[in-house]
Amino acid sequence: MRLETRHWIFIGLFVLIGLAMASGIRLPTPISEQTQKMYDYIDSLPPGSILLVSFDHEASSLPEIQPIALALLRHCFERGVRIIGLALMAEGTSVGYHLTNKAAGEFNRKYGADYAFLGFRPQYIAAILSMGESFRATFPEDYLGRPSESLPLMNDADDYNGVAGVLSIADGSYTTHWIEYGGRYDLAVLAGVTSAMVTTYDPYVASGQIKAMISGLRGAAEYESLIGHDGGGARGMLAQSSAHLYVILLIILGNVSYFVKKRRAG
Amino acid sequence: MDRRIALIICFVFGLVMFAQFFSDHPVAHRVNQDVLVEYVQIIFAFALIVGVVALVRNSIKQVSSGQDRPFRMVMLAGLVSMPILAIGWGIEAGSPFQWMFENVQAPMQSTVFALLAFFVASASYRGFRARSVPAAILLAAALIILLGRSLMIGPLAHVLPDIAEWIRNYPSMAARRAILIGIGLGSLTTSLRVIVGIERTWLGGEK
Repeated sequence: MRLETRHWIFIGLFVLIGLAMASGIRLPTPISEQTQKMYDYIDSLPPGSILLVSFDHEASSLPEIQPIALALLRHCFERGVRIIGLALMAEGTSVGYHLTNKAAGEFNRKYGADYAFLGFRPQYIAAILSMGESFRATFPEDYLGRPSESLPLMNDADDYNGVAGVLSIADGSYTTHWIEYGGRYDLAVLAGVTSAMVTTYDPYVASGQIKAMISGLRGAAEYESLIGHDGGGARGMLAQSSAHLYVILLIILGNVSYFVKKRRAG
Repeated sequence: MDRRIALIICFVFGLVMFAQFFSDHPVAHRVNQDVLVEYVQIIFAFALIVGVVALVRNSIKQVSSGQDRPFRMVMLAGLVSMPILAIGWGIEAGSPFQWMFENVQAPMQSTVFALLAFFVASASYRGFRARSVPAAILLAAALIILLGRSLMIGPLAHVLPDIAEWIRNYPSMAARRAILIGIGLGSLTTSLRVIVGIERTWLGGEK
């Protein structure tokens, strides 16, 4: 088989990312204003306050979503903030449950008292509006099939008035629905989103409809640096930055070859 | 007659849900809760059944005609096996359902998503060309944003992130806001047309 240019490009990227991941080198990560804002917001929540965490993503974005979610959950549990987890996308349910359990386990938080996971409700708009009336009516049972009423945490908050806000971990436009429909109940919205979605949410951050947002692997790395817990964000930054430079190099090479060919053709 | 009933239901529910959104009366909250928790979920469940049945029927037809047979069979196997695992052994952590999700579905989805990086790399070499002035401006903006997010830009780290931030906060956000306002107005118009019965394509058949 004869290798074409694109094959060499693929091989180059594969080798570059492989080497970057294997090297274990950590790059110093300057903290952006938005990440600092998110950290300050969560840090300002009094211990015992409750935060909704909604896992609004697919499994495909897990490599980017997982470090973001873990960094934020770790900070919450460390601060004594209680978590009610849920998912507006079916695939986020299992991922969200495992991540919440993992972060809670690191700080010896108890299920039912310090955190709970409600699971998935179809039709996201209906779920958001319905939760504004009653969490327990919308989720009569938690993800494990226990009656919601039997969980002490669920008796401390039954609608958006009982929570400090919602943190939407998203790889699509679901955070927008929290803004649009949760806004009816003055729900404070925080966001942890993939890099590709940043420009979608920038107008909401600027208008204050999203109180704070961290984005992508870079955001996760910055947050890990703030909480002093090395994780997937910091581990992946060398690979991501190398890949960015590789793509920039390819763009430059592609343009040079284009203009050379154009000049030769007259 | 059938279409008229559907239009009346759409009009009544559209109007009631629209009106209750602006009311803080307990009855409005009750209607909101009942419709959203009970009706919408039930309708969603039935819509899902219709979707699954249509998918299965189409797939079986394609399997028997030999069109994309292996892919269709894998799809059908997944469609049948996941509910069986969920009903038989539950969906709790450690269940076969979760095992399939974590070890089959999630890695496959992540793999497909990761392949995008390779296509982007290839496309950046072959397609991202400064063929005109607007294309050159787009290219320059993309390069600055990419470099601004990178942690390996040395002394440029003091300048580029600020320029990248400016591009995001002004030109990009202006365009994004224009699109959002357009979408909002479009949604409002379409919703009103559906509620008052001008827009009837959702009923199928005639316009």
